[in-house]
Order: sequence, then C-alpha cells, then structure tokens
Amino acid sequence: MKLEHSLFTRRQFLNSLFGGWLGVLLASLLYPVIKFVFPPYREPDKVILPFSEFKDVEPGSVKNFAWGTKPALLKKNGDGSYLAFVAVCTHLDCTVTYLPEQRKFFCACHDGWYDEQGRNIKGPPPRPLRQLVVAVEGENLIIKREGVE
Amino acid sequence: MKIKNLLPGIGAWLEERFGFRGLSRFLNEKRVPQHRHTIWYYTGSSILLFFFIQVVTGIMLAFYYKPTIEEANKSIARIMAEVPLGWIIRSVHFWSSSFMIALVLFHMTSIWIIKSYRKPRELTWMSGVFLLILTLFFGFTGYLLPWDDLSLAATKVGTDIPRSIPWVGAWVTKLLRGGEDVTGDTLTRFFGIHITVLPLCLLFILVIHIYLIQKLGMSLPLGLDKKKEEVKELPFWPNFVYREMVVWLVLSGILFSLAIFLPPSLGKEADLMAPAPEGIKPEWYFLFLFQTLKVFPSRILLVTGDTLAVSLLLLAGILFFFLPLIDYRPEERKGKVITFIAYFFIIYAVVMTVWSLVQ
Repeated sequence: MKLEHSLFTRRQFLNSLFGGWLGVLLASLLYPVIKFVFPPYREPDKVILPFSEFKDVEPGSVKNFAWGTKPALLKKNGDGSYLAFVAVCTHLDCTVTYLPEQRKFFCACHDGWYDEQGRNIKGPPPRPLRQLVVAVEGENLIIKREGVE
Repeated sequence: MKIKNLLPGIGAWLEERFGFRGLSRFLNEKRVPQHRHTIWYYTGSSILLFFFIQVVTGIMLAFYYKPTIEEANKSIARIMAEVPLGWIIRSVHFWSSSFMIALVLFHMTSIWIIKSYRKPRELTWMSGVFLLILTLFFGFTGYLLPWDDLSLAATKVGTDIPRSIPWVGAWVTKLLRGGEDVTGDTLTRFFGIHITVLPLCLLFILVIHIYLIQKLGMSLPLGLDKKKEEVKELPFWPNFVYREMVVWLVLSGILFSLAIFLPPSLGKEADLMAPAPEGIKPEWYFLFLFQTLKVFPSRILLVTGDTLAVSLLLLAGILFFFLPLIDYRPEERKGKVITFIAYFFIIYAVVMTVWSLVQ
C-alpha cells in the first residue's frame, strides 16, 4: 500500500527499517569479535639491562637481548662504544645474525646482508636495520627507542 | 514379523522417514564419460582420500599434541619416541598433506588446460580456488606446529608477506600472528585455525563444490563436447567407483611406504631470539614463491621488491579466481593464449623450485 504523496510503500519502509536494525545488530556483534582477535601491543620506550652482563663483550662482537617481543643485538665497536639494533630483517622479518669475521649482519632466510653500521648492502632488504639508542648509566645499560627522552 | 523379513522391514521403515531413494537412483544413473582425458577425473576423489586420512590422523595427533611454546616441540618428540606407533601417525599426516597438495595442484592445472571451468561450471572453479587456498593454508599453519627453528623462520616470513598489501596488509599480519611479532600466541592461534577454522570452512565449501559437480555432471574436454553422442560412457556405480578404489589403493600404498621409510625429522626447539638458521627452506609447494622473493631486487622503481612481488602475486590470484569469466570463449585465440599461460606457469614454478633446491 502506498499513500498518495509518499515516496515509498509501507512494505519498503518496514523492510528498510528491519534491514537497518539487522545491520546494526550484526555490526555490534562483529565489533567485539574483531576487537578480541587483535591483542594490544605497545613497543617498549626503553629497556634497562644490567651493564655487568654486557661489559665483557669482545670489541667487534655482539650479544643479543630482547626488545619487547623482538630480538635485538648489542654490538661493541672497536673503540669500545656501543650500537644497538633490532635484529629483525627489513625484508621479511627473519632474525639476523652478526658475522664478526666479515663484519656484516646476515639474514639467512633470503640471503640479505647489512654492513656493520646496519646499512643494507646486498640482497633483498629494502632498508637499513632499525637502530636503537644506547646509554650507560651507572650499573645499567639503557636502550631507548629513537626520539624517546 | 519373521526374522528374514526384518532387514527389508527396517530398510522400508528408514526409507519412509529419510527418503533416500532419489539419491540412490541418482547414483545408479550417473555416468562418467570415457575419453583420453578421463584420468584427470580420478584426481578429485583421490584428494578426498587424503583429506580423510588427514582428518583421522590429525584427530589422533591432537590427543597428544600441546600447542604452547613450552610444550609443542616436546609433545611432538614424545609422539615420535614414546607414543605407540606415534611416529607412523605423524609421518602419515606429514606425507599425506604433501600428497593432498600435489593432487590439488594436478587437479587444478588439468582443469585449466582441459578448460572444464567454462560455462556453466564457473562456480565449481571458483569454489575450487577457495579450496586450494584453504589447503595451502592448512599446510602453512600445520608447518609451524612442531615449533622447531625452521618452522619458526618460515612462519615469520610467511606471516610478513601480507604486510605489503596496501591498506589491509598490516592488519592481516597482526591477525595471523596474534600480535606484532611471532610469539607463543601465534602457535596457539595457528593450532586453533588448523584444527577448527580451516576444517569447517573446507567442509562447507567442499559440499558446495561436490554438489555443483553432481548437479552439472562431468565436463567434457573442449572439442569433445560438440559430439557428445559419440562419447562412450561408464556407469559411475559400480564400474567407475571400483576403478577409483584401485587408484586409492595404489596411492595409499605409496603413501604408507614413504611414511614408514622416510619419516619427518624434528628440528631443535624454536628460540624466539635466535637468528634464522642457515639454509632455511619452506615446504616444497612454497619453494617457487620463496625463490621468487629471494631473487627480487630490494628496490624496483619506487617500491620495494617484496611489495612488487606480493602485489603481482595478489593480482595473479585474482585473475586466477576469475579465470572462467575471463576465458569465456575458450575455442578462440584468447583461450589458446590462456592455455599457453598455464604451461608458462608450470614451467616457471618447476624452474624456480629446482633452482631453489640446487642452491
């Protein structure tokens, strides 16, 4: 049935009303499902490690530590300074290793190479390794995300 | 009622309620065409055989397997060493997955080349593409479950691949991993997907796939469909089914022999912080993809190599899915070009796989 000046019939009106309700109901059921399957993640601003464990690293070699859920490497340079890298290959996320005799970082998954400053030099990696900021404060080694106070 | 009337009596009683007569009449009347491409008709039912074996052995493995970061690798070691005949069950599950995937690939390429996807079988093809994706996803999720160093590295790479897809990629990676990185949550999630989500999805689409095949009948290769009357036919029941059973018997013979003589190994427990082991390789059916990602340069024009590789792959997947709608005139030149592309893909995949193996 349609009233004389109406734009739609009573059936159309009711169908869109019920359809709209159904859509809203489905969306409100879907929302918690989607929220549930993505757990929260926050990258750490900094990690604090006991310096004593890293003091004895030979110059030109590395020791690994955990950067949140990611593996990371602390490298001692020849002059005694430190560099820290997230040890995740920028190509497809494999964990890289440091080869001291070649002075390069190496990813075994797809044959990716980085120089000792973490710059991508050979193979598929598109970007340098992510670098972290290292500071020694008393007994602690403090490793920060770049740009964090 | 006399005893000898009991069985037919029960049969009639059930028939009155279920009404199976239509189904049995259908099976009695079903015919399978006989021609030089008939051999490809056997691939479908053989896939079902291996799927059935996967279900049975998979349920058995789930009795002992523990999907946590502390227990996964140890529980597989226990299945291999302590559980009576556990090593055979795992070995059959391992080999049967490869057989299933190999047959799925045979099945699809044969249909591509014979062009059985043409009207009215477009939806049979499309449901088949979904089944292919689900099967590969079964293989991918199952590969992580032993939680050894190789499977961890493969999963890191595999779950990072979708990240390059514009807009949704990062979310897909997060959804698969259950977080930013591959962790114990990923293992538990993969187990859940492997044993609940994928089987339910696969069964649902399989029902549609098989229904369509029964509804539309067996397709005839291009050319033969014009002279339908001349094609010889074989009754499905029992002639064709008996032939299928011979194929199943031979295939299971090969499967069990391989499972007994070449059981899969178990690598050392995965360490989330350890570097990727050298010489990592995925399962054979992902080797061509692995090699492609390896040889793609880091940057092409303005995009990174993996972004380009993944975009091309995605595009190929979409075209593959819509193949019946693209190739709607298979007799003509366009159809011949599409057949040529099929052969090109086969050669490409074989060359990449061999290249990856000899390295």
